[in-house]
Amino acid sequence: MNTETHSSRSVLGKHASRIQRIGTTLPFGDERHLEAHQWLVDESYLLDAQAYEQWLDLLTDDIHYLMPVRVTTALGTGFDTSPGMAHFDEDKYSLSRRVARFLTEHAWTEDPPSRLRHHLSNVRTFATPDENHLVVESATLLFRNRGDVRESSLISAGREDLLRRASSGANWQLARRTIMVDESVMRMQNLAIFL
Amino acid sequence: MTTQSRVLADVRRGMIPAHIYNDAEIFALEKERIFSRAWLFVAHESEIAKPGDYVVRRVLEDSFIVTRDEQGEIRAHFNMCLHRGMQVCRAEMGNASHFRCPYHGWSYRNDGRIVGLPFHQDAYGGEDGFKRKGQRLLPAPNLGIHNGMIFLSLDPGAPPLREFLGDFAFYLDYYTKQSPSGIELRGPQRWRVKANWKIGAENFAGDMYHTPQTHTSVVEIGLFREPKAEKRKDGCTYWAGNGGGTTYKLPAGDLDERLRYVGYPQVMIDRMKETWSSAQCKVVGNDGFMISAASVFPNLSFVHNWPRVAESDDVLPFISVRQWQPISENETEVLSWFAVDAEAPEDFKALSYKAYLMCFGSTGMFEQDDVENWVSLTNTAAGSMARRLRLNSRMGILADGTEVAPALTAEQFAGPGSARTGYSEYNQRALLARWADHLERPVAAAATFEVGGDGQGRGTAERNGDDASDESPALDDVPSETTHEITGA
Repeated sequence: MNTETHSSRSVLGKHASRIQRIGTTLPFGDERHLEAHQWLVDESYLLDAQAYEQWLDLLTDDIHYLMPVRVTTALGTGFDTSPGMAHFDEDKYSLSRRVARFLTEHAWTEDPPSRLRHHLSNVRTFATPDENHLVVESATLLFRNRGDVRESSLISAGREDLLRRASSGANWQLARRTIMVDESVMRMQNLAIFL
Repeated sequence: MTTQSRVLADVRRGMIPAHIYNDAEIFALEKERIFSRAWLFVAHESEIAKPGDYVVRRVLEDSFIVTRDEQGEIRAHFNMCLHRGMQVCRAEMGNASHFRCPYHGWSYRNDGRIVGLPFHQDAYGGEDGFKRKGQRLLPAPNLGIHNGMIFLSLDPGAPPLREFLGDFAFYLDYYTKQSPSGIELRGPQRWRVKANWKIGAENFAGDMYHTPQTHTSVVEIGLFREPKAEKRKDGCTYWAGNGGGTTYKLPAGDLDERLRYVGYPQVMIDRMKETWSSAQCKVVGNDGFMISAASVFPNLSFVHNWPRVAESDDVLPFISVRQWQPISENETEVLSWFAVDAEAPEDFKALSYKAYLMCFGSTGMFEQDDVENWVSLTNTAAGSMARRLRLNSRMGILADGTEVAPALTAEQFAGPGSARTGYSEYNQRALLARWADHLERPVAAAATFEVGGDGQGRGTAERNGDDASDESPALDDVPSETTHEITGA
């Protein structure tokens, strides 16, 4: 399969799997949807708790984790992301460095830690040509609050994930994620968080 | 507006009234006397490479369409329809031969000239009622370009951009001219931080002292080859013309070895050697100093660093250009671009971009901790206690003005301006001294422009000595009236 994905069009995602969805949304009662939905809920709790080492274990070694920069363009322009730029354009190494940094005692931006809540919704699951891959779409709303005088901040984003398992019955892992944030100018002081 | 002479005097002796980092009155003065006068970066030519390409950028509240017209000329139009003042272009980037206002349908070519005015005859009685001929979107009062970097000034009488930059232009080449083709700029990432705009500018101008503390974590995770952030004090800071910056001291070697040490491939090094002056080569090759962070007054900064980007001992250099765009006295929009030599090999460009994302920008591991500090500082500066505090910004000089470390001699540092090794706050003081100079000096009243009347006007176009003016008269020739009185400090 050699179709275009957000990852394949990004600067650092050429290595990522190009497996795409087929067909329409799986029924909500479908076993595959239930597994994918639970995977996302469990992941949200890890991200809220900043349990980043456990989170890293959920990612495949060839993960591509992409968060494009959204831009305001006229209707019909054909693009709404900044060419050649992203907020995150990550592989396992760069994500592992970010996680390692949070585990030092000197990542000041998260000491004291933020209070985080990833609100997950709108989960849709799609089959792919390979039974060991699923495409899952979801919405996430991250609420972040620090200290006592600063206003809280929010990030709203849609996500498209590619989940993979080594074999039938094995645990699912994240192989590809695209985060489409809903702001062109972020209203959060930094992205020392994951979505 | 109250006089701020006491504040300015304190700032000039290096005792900073803490409230200047969160003070509505000071900010009002900054808007009037700094941001309506200084040269401000808006875009790079590579962002609008083809005719019709445009980006929309702000100078504080003023929106400008920065575009390359069909003749290839770079222009900046005030993004306000001449009819009812609607914002003409509401996208932030794209390609367009014309801009049409959505309100009543007035339209403009990308060189700013009005081409469509519905019912001109029926509604206005033609040219006798509204002189359409020669009308154009209001140009930025002053536009200058250096190394492809496009700057605007709202002051039609501003000194030429090159003069404004002064000897900092020598250092600007390290960031923006590593080959005859110069840089390509990607981005920007944009985000708002609840911090005063001056803090970032000061930090990038000269704060080597914060690195060992603020950025301990990125050293601990092995992102850098140098094991200790304390190495920073072996570097030097320099101030030249209208800007200054920091450097790292490199291990012994010649120019090629030192550029290879920070990760440049030989093909890029060869072009640097052809492009840079002998003095520019000497700073790196003989003196052993490699540029790192820098700021140009008032709010443009640069950074150059060379982290590991994979499980390997190799490092890769990256460059970022960033602007601290003020929103208010306690909020700043950060615009952070990735810059890379246009002639660099494609695999270098990709890995340099990776290095940038890991270190700076909205997700950068350096930037995350910087911003946390700056937000906290700004918040603390708002109250009444901050008005009692004069922060000591005199690092590097004794009480009687004696220097802790002497300036480097021409034999030790081949660049222009004044340079010193070790920790000091010379650059922060130089930046804030310019800030004080601007705040002290009233601005002249701006000329006004009457749409469709007898007066026709546009600003002067200035391009580093190239004569880019056209047939239109300069703004100075427009019959003007004073719009507001300025009270002196």
